[in-house]
Amino acid sequence: MNMQRLMAVEFFKLRKRMMTWVVALLLVGLVILLYSVLWNISGRVAFFGDHHRGAPRFTGEDLRRALFLQGAVPFSLAIVTTFGTLLAVILAAGAIGSEYAWGTVRLMATASSGRLRMMAARMIVVALLVAAGTLLAVAVAVTYSTIITVVSGGADFSFITAGWAKEQLFAYGRTLFVMAPYVALAFAAATVGRSTLAGVGTGMGAAFLEPLVSNLMRLGGNPWKSIPNYLINSNAQVITLQNVVPEPLPRFGPTAADLAGQGVHSPAAAAVILALYVVAFIAIAFVVYRRRDIAAGGGG
Amino acid sequence: MSHGREILRTEGLWKQYGAITAVAGMDLMVFDGEVFSFLGPNGSGKSTTVGMVLGLVRPTRGHAFVFGSDMATHPWPALRRIGAVIETPAFYPYLSGYDNLRALAIALGGIPNTRIDEMLELVGLRDRGRDPYKTYSLGMKQRLGIASTLLRDPELIILDEPTNGLDPAGTREVRELIPELARQGRAVFLCSHLLHEVQAVSDRVAIVKRGRMVAQGTVQELLGRGEFLRLRASDNDALSRALGGIPWVTGVERIDGFVRAAAPVAKAADLNMALAQLGVYVAELSPWEVELESVFLELTGEELHA
Repeated sequence: MNMQRLMAVEFFKLRKRMMTWVVALLLVGLVILLYSVLWNISGRVAFFGDHHRGAPRFTGEDLRRALFLQGAVPFSLAIVTTFGTLLAVILAAGAIGSEYAWGTVRLMATASSGRLRMMAARMIVVALLVAAGTLLAVAVAVTYSTIITVVSGGADFSFITAGWAKEQLFAYGRTLFVMAPYVALAFAAATVGRSTLAGVGTGMGAAFLEPLVSNLMRLGGNPWKSIPNYLINSNAQVITLQNVVPEPLPRFGPTAADLAGQGVHSPAAAAVILALYVVAFIAIAFVVYRRRDIAAGGGG
Repeated sequence: MSHGREILRTEGLWKQYGAITAVAGMDLMVFDGEVFSFLGPNGSGKSTTVGMVLGLVRPTRGHAFVFGSDMATHPWPALRRIGAVIETPAFYPYLSGYDNLRALAIALGGIPNTRIDEMLELVGLRDRGRDPYKTYSLGMKQRLGIASTLLRDPELIILDEPTNGLDPAGTREVRELIPELARQGRAVFLCSHLLHEVQAVSDRVAIVKRGRMVAQGTVQELLGRGEFLRLRASDNDALSRALGGIPWVTGVERIDGFVRAAAPVAKAADLNMALAQLGVYVAELSPWEVELESVFLELTGEELHA
């Protein structure tokens, strides 16, 4: 009962906060923008890719077909994995960091029935909002794609089977799973650093810099080259690759062949590694918040 | 003074930040139905003590008990019965005053929306209750802070500088509200630097300096620390000499054309008679009105700063 109350408060605060809606709007806008651009160029450009260099080559008609309903879910999830993670990092860091900036961390600490419960409620609500935001992005993509499919005369919905629906559900789950370490990292960093900036900086820094550092490590040979396989990014890519993106839609990130060359872990091992990261980050946030003095002046 | 039920008790409360001792062995007791004021210069450990009382700051040593709960280990049952505003009120800037109280009410549970309206009415914010908190003046923020403390109908109210930023009318309202809350049976723990305000509303006062308690007692006890009589005669030198010869006058001092004698106010008539017998006739004899401020200055050697 206490937990429900605390979750209701967190939901109430985030629902009333402009930032939540801006983040959701950005995500929706991004999906619409990408669909619009791809739809537009699919009718203007005959061929894509540089066949002289052996790069994948597909026609505008291929791209148009890929924008049909069949590919809407994996395509929108690919967008969410890349851009949505950054927005989720902002949401998570803001949910805890702002409390320190405003000094409301004291207000809520004296009004709730336990610091850990309050923290848990906040994490759960942020996770639910990230899941809802991802679902919103998918819903927008499906709606847009349905319009495209019908307008283009390609209204063939025979692909909608139980197996297809199950695969989309798994893809949704995988997407949320690979976002989780970054969201948890942002949450932990905002807690430790007592600021939104610390959370956003660390979360985004990890998302942007880790691939760069990983590539440098791989170039460095032994023992460096095996380290990236234990970091978040390469394991997240292993999981993301399980989502089937209909060709010739662009896949953000490396291909299966690229990852195979890097000697990455199996999907199961990658999932365990990512889960360990999530657990570790959450544990840090909890331990720090539980033990810390919540001092006057909004600090603590 | 007879005390009511014990609400708050600290035993040897101590807080160390590295080499800095913020609070050193603080022993306090607060009872229901009283206004207890906590005075001290900036950095004297008031807010740290309040933080420990609320379970927000972990004591290095000692204990703070509120309603019998040790606030370092098991604060939650007690927190439901405490309303507190520590230093400046802190609320969500994007929420309205009403929604801030609503968020608090949801967290606490069992508080109907009508109670929120009542509290806004009580502090004079009904008309601005739907406006964002970030548009509030400091005085309005203070009022909302007071509303938030009363929202849960607390038995212990902790107010830190409650009149800070209020206009004279608002200050008077809060000054009237504080004893009224105590009359309703609540304990009020007041931190203030406005000594005349404290003197007017408090039953008991604790004065702290550098984390240590330097005095604690009723206002009368503190003001009466060595009661004084104010005397004037045509020859104050002769008056001073005569006073020095009376055994129960424990001190004589010349201040601003008067002679201050450390003697019980109740023995003013006896003193007058004794002086007359010594051939000294006083032109003026009255109790020396002691302000809490002068007691504070005497004890701490410091002035309070806003």
